[in-house]
Parts: sequence; structure tokens; C-alpha cells
Amino acid sequence: MDDYATVIAMLNHTWFGAELAPETQERLAKLGVVTGFESDEVVIHEGQPSEKMGILVSGRLALRTLVPGKGLVTIMSVEPGDIFGWSSVLPGMQAQSSVVATESCQALVIDGARLRAALREDHALAASVYPRVLEAVGRRLRATRLQLLDLFGR
Amino acid sequence: MITSPAPSQAAAARQWFLARGDLNSLIDALKESGRRVIGPTIRDGAIVYDEIASAGDLPAGWRDEQSAGHYRLDRRTDERLFGYTVGPTSWKRFVFPPNLTISTAHRSGQFGFDQPNPEPPQLAFLGVRACELAALAIEDRVFLGGQFQDEDFRARRSAAFIVAVQCTTSSGTCFCTSMGTGPEVHGGYDILLTEIDEGFVVQAGSPGGAAIVAALPARRPSHAESGAAVDMVEAVRARIGETLPIPGLAERLKLQLDNPRWAAVAERCVECGNCTMACPTCFCTAVVERSDMDGKLAATDRLWDSCFDSSFARVAGGDFRARPQDRYRQWLTHKFSTWVDQFGTMGCVGCGRCITWCPVHIDVREELMAIAPPVPPVERPVAVEPVAASPGSFSIARVAGVKAETEDTYTVSLSDMDPAFLRGRPGQFVMIALPAFPAVPISISRFRSNGIDLTIRAVGPTSTALTNLHPGSKGGVRGPLGTFWPIEDAYGRHAVVVAGGVGLSPLHGLVDALVANRDRFETVSLFYGTRTPEDRLFQDDLARWAASSAIDVAVTVDRAGPEWKGRVGVVTTLFDKIPWDCSKVTAFVVGPERMMQASVQGLISKGVPPDRIVISMERHMECGIGLCGHCQMAGRFVCKDGPVFRLNDLGEMFNREGI
Amino acid sequence: MATIGSTARPRVAVAKFASCDGCQLTILDLEDQLLEIVSRFDIVEFPEATSRRSPGPYDIVFVEGSISAPEHYDQIKELRKQARILVTIGACASSGGIQALRNWADHDAFRAAVYEHPEWVESLATATPVSDHVKVDAELRGCPIDGSQLLELLTAVLVGRRPQIRDEAVCRECKRKGIVCMVVARGEACMGPVTTSGCDALCPTYGRGCFGCFGPRAGANAASWSRGLQKAGRPPEEVWRLFAGFTAYAEPFRSVVTELGAKKPAPAGPRR
Ligand SMILES: Cc1cc2nc3c(=O)[nH]c(=O)nc-3n(C[C@H](O)[C@H](O)[C@H](O)COP(=O)(O)OP(=O)(O)OC[C@H]3O[C@@H](n4cnc5c(N)ncnc54)[C@H](O)[C@@H]3O)c2cc1C
Ligand code: SF4
Ligand code: SF4
Ligand code: SF4
Ligand code: SF4
Ligand code: SF4
Ligand code: FES
Repeated sequence: MDDYATVIAMLNHTWFGAELAPETQERLAKLGVVTGFESDEVVIHEGQPSEKMGILVSGRLALRTLVPGKGLVTIMSVEPGDIFGWSSVLPGMQAQSSVVATESCQALVIDGARLRAALREDHALAASVYPRVLEAVGRRLRATRLQLLDLFGR
Repeated sequence: MITSPAPSQAAAARQWFLARGDLNSLIDALKESGRRVIGPTIRDGAIVYDEIASAGDLPAGWRDEQSAGHYRLDRRTDERLFGYTVGPTSWKRFVFPPNLTISTAHRSGQFGFDQPNPEPPQLAFLGVRACELAALAIEDRVFLGGQFQDEDFRARRSAAFIVAVQCTTSSGTCFCTSMGTGPEVHGGYDILLTEIDEGFVVQAGSPGGAAIVAALPARRPSHAESGAAVDMVEAVRARIGETLPIPGLAERLKLQLDNPRWAAVAERCVECGNCTMACPTCFCTAVVERSDMDGKLAATDRLWDSCFDSSFARVAGGDFRARPQDRYRQWLTHKFSTWVDQFGTMGCVGCGRCITWCPVHIDVREELMAIAPPVPPVERPVAVEPVAASPGSFSIARVAGVKAETEDTYTVSLSDMDPAFLRGRPGQFVMIALPAFPAVPISISRFRSNGIDLTIRAVGPTSTALTNLHPGSKGGVRGPLGTFWPIEDAYGRHAVVVAGGVGLSPLHGLVDALVANRDRFETVSLFYGTRTPEDRLFQDDLARWAASSAIDVAVTVDRAGPEWKGRVGVVTTLFDKIPWDCSKVTAFVVGPERMMQASVQGLISKGVPPDRIVISMERHMECGIGLCGHCQMAGRFVCKDGPVFRLNDLGEMFNREGI
Repeated sequence: MATIGSTARPRVAVAKFASCDGCQLTILDLEDQLLEIVSRFDIVEFPEATSRRSPGPYDIVFVEGSISAPEHYDQIKELRKQARILVTIGACASSGGIQALRNWADHDAFRAAVYEHPEWVESLATATPVSDHVKVDAELRGCPIDGSQLLELLTAVLVGRRPQIRDEAVCRECKRKGIVCMVVARGEACMGPVTTSGCDALCPTYGRGCFGCFGPRAGANAASWSRGLQKAGRPPEEVWRLFAGFTAYAEPFRSVVTELGAKKPAPAGPRR
């Protein structure tokens, strides 16, 4: 059982959680579990069903994918405030990449099924969580596009 | 009298000498002209302005001692009559009374409002100082200078006969020199007195003044007497000095509306309003209604009001200046800034009354200096004359060392070179040539005590040859060339360096300079992005900077293997975390052009002003001195007009295809 | 409410709690206007001038004195019910008065110091302003009140306009009158900067420091003035005494009295 006040304080330190209404923060705090990851711990395995979403509070996670011929490549890091496992807001999705802790981390982790159920029934929660998830995905899209441009190419 | 013309040259030149013992003749003449004489006299421990019967009422042999919240009288060693400065009274009291009935109204019999006919008292003001004349001139602008005018003020003001007195002493609270209002009197008087050892040098400033002077038992002053009169006032100017730097103050104050000092001074201020009451220019009033018990006869009184009152800005539903700090800010910004917008001058003449009469010793000069300190004039260095500045000419340098930065990039340290290179500036470059290899432009990445570093990526023949040099080899250099980083643009702001790949090289010297002058900036940060961790230049320096508290370093790479524990993501993702007010950011950006485009877009969308984004452009260069024409970018030669440009100097040219 | 042209005379009552009657005397002192007042108002309850008792409701109730005895609680609530406009008059009713100093002291010791037979006197441990108990529509400050402010209030009620009672520092009146500030020019103590106006700077006019009888201005920066006086060389006891006057119990004077009082032993007996 987490102390909700602590979890809410943590949320307040993230862009994802800071401007949520107090009720929504509390709802998220009750849905989630504050979880620590050790360096190199694999949080999500690429290709497996998405079953949890997390809000990183501290530390750093790497999104890794297997590139034929190059091995495991980190394509992006997740910084405090960012989310990971966003695909679990939709049913039946598979993880797009592996999520690995590159240092010891703390995150509020929410079980995918519980999250989806909560989003279905609690419209206030949905109304504030979906836009944020969309924003996080949008940021990733923009970053990926710039990466494709190969900024450092000659 | 304000209607009187400015003194003609001849009248100004005509001086008289009146012995101290004969001053009564002036007072009598004024009285004979039908005026009551108001002048300085001692009451309750201070020199106030009140009715004067004879020179015997003047504070002979007294001086005042003034500082913030402090006023005391003391004996002088002589018997001078005007050997002090301004006291608690100002002449405003006599042209703009503190309490005045401005209309009466009645509803029994005839219904109507009546304005009392201004029948002004005929007064002569004796002992008006330079700052006070300036204050009267300001009140003229306030009450008579606009579309709507105050008739009561006009009547009293034009009735007043003014005998000005030059200041031959000053107080600790005087700052007329800064405000440009004194201590010398320049016009605006009927008669001017300057008190010297034995009496007064007298000048008339109007026909009315001349008529009175003509009747005095005065003689021509000697040369020595005229000279002494000038010297005394000059000595006062020197004693006061220039304590408050005024140029630019009005504008600077406008940028300081959120300064925390407003709240700090409001903690001290007791909002008594004494400053605004004592101030010779404050003009705000309140109207108060009186009536009889039937409401049939009523009168409206006008009272001196003060913006320090908690109800001054109240409307139904709230108070526009609810906090004490809002009210203190209103007072100070009105006097020293917004007054200029309203009336064309500041609302302060530097008389110091608000300082002396503040019971909690608040000194406006101190507050102004703390809230909107003068910006030290920014010294913009000029570029040194480059050496070997003609096509085909090079100066010789020796290679002191070569250090690998990445797989293909090396830092070549040059020494034994012309000292002009050492006086180059971060952002400048050199043309470097080897026999049989055409000269290429290379940025100076670091200034050492005995030479410079060039960090070179081997991309073709010359660059490869350069990176293959050995200690002891020689090369030909021309430079230092081009524009440099305008580091002063970031003074007092958040300095943000954004580097992509080898773009860190021309920024390395800038980072060194930012760190060396750290206290000039709010914060200093370096955002560095490369394609992979292996592409990072200057890894030792990056580690050193990251460990120092002078600069925040954030490094990100586009992609990495599992062994990389740092950030992964394009460099613009670093901007998401900027915690500061981006309007206060000055950014320096170098990298491949695509990276610069993305970065500039990212910075602008975060709110960084385009004129505070500085970039370095790369173009093909063969000469570096504006002669070969290769580096042209629309109207500019990147070699001599650049390579460092402010974004808005490039305008449309940046980020445009085919230029 | 009586407005211009209406013939009904407003009914006025004056009620008294713990006070010295000085404020009521100010009313009687308005000799020139007294006849006019009596002809326009129906004064139904006025312990100091008439023994006539008449039940409510009243148009205006002037309340003098602080709430200091157990029976006062019910009395003031009842008065409020009967009053269209309830006006406190004087420092006692508006801020507790000098007797509110007992709010900081040991009540029994205080009583013993004042009365020969304290056991015969039933009083509360505190003396509090009327506004602590019921809603107050207007306050006439001062110890005693200022006659012209009273007249202004009555006139405003008759005419149906807002009474012109300003809340500005005494310094403002002092400066408008051209009085030399004794704090700055003579190093004397004065409560003018934090005290509300209305007396026309009575004390400074006679060369004495204001002793705050009109009580604090809204939002007065009493803490700064307390520091200012001490910085000017006034010992904390003296500053305590300045704030611990007729309006000691009104915030923000109350905080200064508490703060400075904590630094010294509790008062041995009532102080002037
Ligand atoms: C102001 C400025 C500062 C520079 N600073 C550095 C630096 O600090 N470190 C660094 O490694 N590089 C720097 N460069 C780029 C460097 O000048 C070129 O990489 C170098 O000229 C390549 O020459 P090369 O003969 O080795 O290659 P080439 O095979 O001749 O050319 C390889 C690439 O370099 C470009 N290039 C060739 N000659 C020039 C030239 N004279 N001017 C500009 N580009 C050229 C070509 O267009 C081609 O894209 C700078 C360029 C400019 C304009
Ligand atoms: S401010 Fe200047 S002009 Fe005014 S009294 Fe002082 S010295 Fe004289
Ligand atoms: S602001 Fe102060 S110094 Fe300036 S004119 Fe007014 S009283 Fe004098
Ligand atoms: S400083 Fe205040 S009182 Fe003085 S003129 Fe300005 S607004 Fe009016
Ligand atoms: S005189 Fe001093 S304390 Fe009084 S209002 Fe002015 S600044 Fe504030
Ligand atoms: S004497 Fe008292 S009331 Fe008058 S200005 Fe000074 S502090 Fe204010
Ligand atoms: S490099 Fe030759 S003109 Fe600019």
C-alpha cells in the first residue's frame, strides 16, 4: 500500500502528472504501484502483449529494438516525466520495443487491464489521460522524424 | 510669474549686490507691491515655508542635516540666511492647496453647482530653490499642459512672485544634479539671489523683478563677488556628485515590474503616504462630499490623496493594486518612468523630501539602484587585424600536438605563431594551407596561452592531410577571420549553447568564455547532440564541464548500443526540459544546417526571441577575406560578415533552399 | 431608511457595554447640532441622556463598549436583531478598548489588582470588540470618537449617501496641515503611520505623538512600524506600550503586542 500523498508528490514532479486535477492524481495514484527498477532490468519485452504503462519518476529507461545486422540499438531514452508502455491503453497491442533500465529508476506502474477498465468507466480520467498519452506519442513521432532526417548527416 | 518672458541676455548679465543687512528692503518692497511674503522660517525643529514679516523671521545662522528618515537643525558658524536646503514644506502647498473647496451645490430654491471664483492670494515666494522651480515647472505641465486645465492652480501660480535662491549648500538627500534640475537656477524666477559672504548677488528675471530690484539700495557687485557667487554653486554640484544614473532608467524600470525587491521594500514601507505628501510634484487628490442634514446644501472638498492608500485604486469588486508592493511600485514607477509617458519629463526633481520624511528610512535612490541598476555599458570587443590577410599569403605556425577526438576528427594544436592569433575571439576561424593543398577554413576551437587549437574532421584531401600532421610540422595560417560570438548578448540572461556533432568545435571557445565570466549570466547550459556516443568531441572537457557547477551539460545521441547509459533522442528533445523563462534565453547554435534549422525552430517555439539566437554558418570558402566570392549568401560574404550571425540579421536567408 | 423628503424620523438607540461613557459624552458635546439631531432622529434609548426605554426595532443602534461580561453575549445578539444599522462607537466597541489588555494577562490577578472585592465582580476573561460577535455595519473610531465623524454618519444616513469616513494614515492629515513630523525632526515616537485618520491629527497638532486611539488602518504594516520605532532607539517596552493602548486588541496591533509582550513579564496591573 503506497502512501498516496507521496505518489501524488511524485506525480507533481512530472509533466505528465503535474497539471492533473487532484481527483485524477488520486485516481492514478490508487491505480498504480510505485515500482523500482535496477540498472539493466528489462521492464517490458519487445513483442510481448502490452500489459503495463508507466510514468517514469526518476532515473532513465532505454527503448531498445533489435536491428538486423546491428544488434540491439537504443532508439530513444525515457526521461523522468515521460511515459512508457503507452500501447497498453489499447487492448491487444504488443510492445513496440523493449524497455530497459539504464540506471536505477522509480516509476508509477499501472496494470494495463486495470487502466483500460478505469479509462472506460471514468470519463474524467480518460479526458485527462488520453491527451497526455497522445502528447507523449506525438513527441516521439516528432523526434523520430527528425532522427530520420539525420540531422548530423552531411 | 509664469507669464513673464525669459530674461534677456542683457537683463541676465545685469547683476547687483545687496548687503545682507539690507534684505529687509526687498521684503518691504514685496509687501508694498501688495503681496504677502512666504519664506523659510523655523517651526517645531524644522525650516518650513510660512508667512514672513521681516528678515528677522528667516533662519539666520542655521543649517539642516538630512538623511533617510532624519532631519535636524544645527547652528552654522556664520549668519547666512539661506544656508540650508529644502525642508518639509514645498511650494505646492501655496499653488495647489492640500484642502480646497472646489464646488458647492444646493437644491433648495435654485438647483445648481457653483464653483468658487478663484480669487488667488497675492503671494511672493522667497527662497525658491532650483529643484523647486523645476517642480513648479512640472506642475505647470500637469495642471496646465494638457487639454483640461486646473483654473485654481493657474490663478495661484500666475499670481505668485518668485524670488529664487541659489543653493550654496546641499544635504545628503539632494540629488538635483542627477535629475538635471539643479543646483544652478536657470530661469523661471522674477528675482534671483545668490548668498555670498557679505550679502547677495541679485539678478532680475522679469520686468516685474527688475522694477523691484531697481528700487533696492543695491550697487554693482565687484568681480570677486560675482565670481564667488558662481563658485559657491559649482562647489555644491561637486559635493552632491551624480548619485543616481538616470539615462535609461525609465525604460529599465518598465522591465522590472516583477522584481522581488518590490515585495521586500513593501515589507518596510508603512504606507503612511508621507513621501507623496512631501513630494513637490505629486498631484493626486480625492474629493470629499459634505452636506447639511437635509442634503440641500452640499460642498465638495479636494484633498491631497496618495497612491499608498489602500482604497486609492479600489472599484466595486476589488482593488487593482491590492498588495502593498503594487502600491509602492506605482509610486516609484510613476515618479521615474510612467510620468515621462504622461508629461514628457520625470516626476521627480531630486529634492530628497520623500527620503528625509519617510519614517522608515526608505531611500528611493537605493531602491532604484537595486531594482533597475544601470546596465554597465557593454564593451563590445573589436576583432584584431588578421595576419596574412591577402590571397596567397600565409603566416607560419608549428604543430605542437595532434589528439584524436573521434575516429575521423583530430585536434591539431598550433603554436609558435603570430600573437595576433591568440587575440582572436571564440567563433572566428583561420584559413589553413599546406604546400600543395588548397587553403580551407577551420574554426578556432580553443585559445591556449601559446597558441590555438583546430579541431578537424577528415572529410577530404586537405582535411585528411591536416589531421595527419605530426608535432613539429608546419602549416600556413591566415587569420583570425570573421565575426565572433556576441557573448554580451547573453549578459544577465540564460546562455544556452546548442551544438550538433562537430559544431561543438567553434563553440568550445565560447563555452570556455561563458564559464570564465559565469557571474555575468543567469545560467549557462550546453545542449549537445551527436549521431552516436562515439561521435562526441572533447569528451574530457564534457566530463569536466558536467562536473562543474558553472554550467549544466546535457548530452543526447540519436542512437546507441546497449552499453550507452545516457540519453537517446534528437537534440531538440533536450529543449522540452528548459525550466526557465525562454524570453530571457540567448542561444548560440552550431551544427549541420539541418540540425540548426530544427534547433532554431524548437527554440523559437519555446519562446526564445529570434534576435537572441546566434548561429554560425558554413559556406564554401577559398579566401576568407571577402575577395574570392565563394561564400556569398545573398548580400553577405559569410567569411567577413559571418560566419557568426544573429538570426534576425540573416532574416529570410536562413533556412531557404538554394541561397 | 429615511431618505430626503420622508417625514418619518429614524429611530436611534444608543447601547452601552463595558466603557467609560466618554463617547456618549461626545454626542452630548455636539451642542450646536444637538437640537438638529434630536429634531430629525427619534432617540429612544440613551442611558446617558434619558431614562426612557423603548423596545426595538431601531433604524440605527450605536453600541459603546466592549463585550466583557457573560450577559453581554445575549444582549449584543438581541440588539443586532433589532438594528437595521449597527454602528460601534469608540475604541472599546470597535476593538475591545483598553480593557482588552486583560486578554493577555492572568484574568484573576488583573481583577484583584483593579477591584477591592474581585469576587463580587462577574466578568469574562476577555474583553472583545463587538465585531467578534455580530456583524457591524460601520465603526466610529477613537477614544473618544470624533464629533464631526458622528455628525457625518448621521447626515449620510439622513441623506442616503455613503458616509465620508476615510481610512488613511494620521500622517496624511498631519502633512496636509503642514505639521513638522516629530519622528523625523525630533526623534519622538508617534503612531500616526499605522493609525487610521479621523481626528484631524489631533495629537500631532499639539506637539504630541499620536497614540493610536483610532486604531489600525486596514492592512497597516504594524510589524514594520514596531521595528522602525525600535530602530530609532525606542526600547521594546515603550513600543509595547504604544501598541498596547486603546486599540491593542485590534489586528495587526494585537500581533505586535503579543510579540513584544512575550519578551517581557506580563503587566502587573492595568496600564494607562
Ligand atoms: C567558417 C568555417 C569553419 C569551419 N570549421 C571547421 C572545423 O573547425 N573543423 C572542420 O573539420 N571543418 C570545418 N569547416 C569545414 C571545412 O572547411 C571543410 O570540411 C574542409 O574545407 C574540407 O576540405 P577537404 O579538402 O578536406 O575536403 P574536400 O574533399 O575538398 O571536401 C569535402 C567537403 O568539404 C567541403 N569543402 C571543401 N572545401 C571547402 C572550403 N574551402 N570551405 C568550406 N567547405 C569546403 C566540400 O564542399 C565537401 O562537402 C569549416 C568551414 C567553414 C566555412
Ligand atoms: S536638491 Fe539641489 S536645488 Fe534642491 S535643495 Fe538640494 S542642492 Fe538645492
Ligand atoms: S520623488 Fe522624492 S526626491 Fe523626487 S521630487 Fe518627489 S520628494 Fe523630491
Ligand atoms: S506617485 Fe502616487 S500620489 Fe504621487 S502623483 Fe503618482 S500616483 Fe499620485
Ligand atoms: S514615506 Fe516611506 S513608509 Fe511612508 S509611504 Fe512613503 S515609502 Fe512608505
Ligand atoms: S508626526 Fe506622526 S502623524 Fe505626523 S507625519 Fe510624523 S509620524 Fe505621521
Ligand atoms: S571566402 Fe572568399 S569571399 Fe568569402
